[in-house]
Amino acid sequence: MGGDFAPEEIVKGVAAASLATAIECVLVGDEPRIQAVLDTLSYDPAHIRIHHAADAVGMQEAPREALRAKRDASIRVGASLVADGQADALVSAGNTGACLLACAREFRILKGVRKPGLASVYPRHTDLPGQDPLALLLDVGATVRCDAADLVQLAVMGSVWAHRVSRIARPRVGLLNMGAEPFRGGDVLAEAHERLTTLPAIDFVGNVEGSDVAKGRADVIVCEGLLGSVVLKFIEGITDVVNDVASHAVKQRFVWRLGMRLLSRGLREVAHFTEHAAYGGAPLLGFEQLLVKTHEHSRALAIANAVKLAAKTVREGVIAEIGAGLEGVRA
Amino acid sequence: MSAREERLGWVDALRVRRPRRRAAAALPPVVYRWDLDKTYLKSDFESLTKMMRVPFERAEDKIDEPGVVALMRALRAGARAEGRRILVYFVSASPPQIGRAIREKLALDGVEIDGIVFKDQLQHLVRGRFRFLREQIGFKLAELLKARLAAPAGAVEYLFGDDWESDSLCYSLYADVVAGRLDHQALGDILVRLRIDPARLVEIRGLARKIPTVDAVRRIFINLERRTPPGRFRNFGARLVPTFNYFQTALVLHEEGMVPLAAVVAVGHSLIDRATYTRAQLRNSLDDLVRRGHLRDDEPVLRRDLEESGVLPSTATQGSWTQRLWRRLRRRRPAPKPLPAKRPVVIDYPRLVDAWLASGGRPGEAAS
Repeated sequence: MGGDFAPEEIVKGVAAASLATAIECVLVGDEPRIQAVLDTLSYDPAHIRIHHAADAVGMQEAPREALRAKRDASIRVGASLVADGQADALVSAGNTGACLLACAREFRILKGVRKPGLASVYPRHTDLPGQDPLALLLDVGATVRCDAADLVQLAVMGSVWAHRVSRIARPRVGLLNMGAEPFRGGDVLAEAHERLTTLPAIDFVGNVEGSDVAKGRADVIVCEGLLGSVVLKFIEGITDVVNDVASHAVKQRFVWRLGMRLLSRGLREVAHFTEHAAYGGAPLLGFEQLLVKTHEHSRALAIANAVKLAAKTVREGVIAEIGAGLEGVRA
Repeated sequence: MSAREERLGWVDALRVRRPRRRAAAALPPVVYRWDLDKTYLKSDFESLTKMMRVPFERAEDKIDEPGVVALMRALRAGARAEGRRILVYFVSASPPQIGRAIREKLALDGVEIDGIVFKDQLQHLVRGRFRFLREQIGFKLAELLKARLAAPAGAVEYLFGDDWESDSLCYSLYADVVAGRLDHQALGDILVRLRIDPARLVEIRGLARKIPTVDAVRRIFINLERRTPPGRFRNFGARLVPTFNYFQTALVLHEEGMVPLAAVVAVGHSLIDRATYTRAQLRNSLDDLVRRGHLRDDEPVLRRDLEESGVLPSTATQGSWTQRLWRRLRRRRPAPKPLPAKRPVVIDYPRLVDAWLASGGRPGEAAS
């Protein structure tokens, strides 16, 4: 029961999923509060289970201390339910640090994985016909620093995800760097580039620069968590800047206001396309179990989409395929 | 031992054979009154084309709501086993022209009924009173009151409706008129505000005066076919139970002592076999009913019995014994108990009707 709009929006999202899909959702949190929200909604009780957890980690709390102090925190209970096999995947809009820490404690890491990675989809320009309008960026915050072997593993995991979930036949994988040349970016990135070039399992397109992130050169972009988190937040920030500029323009001149009014429908479509709610959430890859982390500001639509994404991932056997893909890297 | 008894196991077979023993003399007759469309039948009124098709459907084309047939059979079997007199009636606002197909459908399903009443739409059409074609409250209330006058003395009643039309309001009005909680003047005012047929209003006033006062209606079940939020029915009081499926309805009736456990098991199996429910989904339905405060007595015992009957998934077999022990130790925290449901004292009808009219007569909206 984490996130800025919990429990109302979380429960609304799950209620919507219960009517639209056959997915069984386990809501972990304060049972009376959850039921009080459910009472006001259309839902199908056959598809909803509630597991009581008295505590929750707040968005501003320090994850480690909070998890230590709150043994009955919903994120911790949820992660243990998944670890025990009582649920197939965990979806959370809560404190990201607490989510990652709870998963690290409860989930089993895939054989050979050194560092799990948080992957996020984002909208980008398509350069090639039939290209997916969404690209995958990983890691966006599960790690801080990575070595070359970690980056290679992230590339494999991202490639498998894009192939199975985004249905890209052979995803193009790029390494985020400060230049296109293979030797750029220091020893770690140069070694990663060399190893990725020789890896037959993935379609490596070489280094991609910051200017390529929003273009269609790569379907999967690999980087360490620090860099990925900065890039993702920058992309999110652009939407706010565009909104501010548009609001400012509207106030300045009548003609501009008229122009904005004429563009409003198109802008709404662009806003919908760039809205995080439409994509579900960011999967945490590298564990035998799955976490789909949604934005802290997630509302019902985002939660429902995250639930669908998690179900699709489980149904498609993506985690097992990632494990098999990583076996190939080790071999 | 029958095939079903074999499936239930010997413990439940005994329960099937020996329902709760009571002195037959102490058991009053029981009357079950059912709505037809969306309660018994999965009628499709979503478009005009589909609505026009309904009168021409044959019995074998009509589809019953999942679990309803098993429940109706179990109600009769349960009453017979207890030596209690049972009467089953349908009151439907559908035209009498579909009566033959409905009777054939009931016969196909093996459901015995004691009467069925349809709304004569023709008189409204002939007189050009089109506004009253869709009016249900006046028609149903009048028919229910007439039927009450004809019911055996001391009979208790259970009413079954749905969330598509006005069943929640209509049944509650009926229950409170029969119980004497709603005086004739107040009833008249409500019906005038609901703009029912004036001829019906006179008839209802007359019938209400004749009705002997007795708190006969035990429960009103509203089948949430439209998935109306259950909280919207809270102002109708605990007498009205909104249920999402007939497994939930059977559970409440079992708690009321109206059907044996075998009936709940039969409805559960019917949902599993015919409506693609899983055991886990039935468990979730039971949990939902408990959380909403509609089930209280012996719930852990009931749960264990249903697990043993194969209707609910067994909790004893999830994981290895070490995992189960670990789980118990780690998660042995009490979930809050639901508050006991309170019997309605007085329903605030003027407020309900205000909300009802404001919502354009959509069910459940009236209670919000």
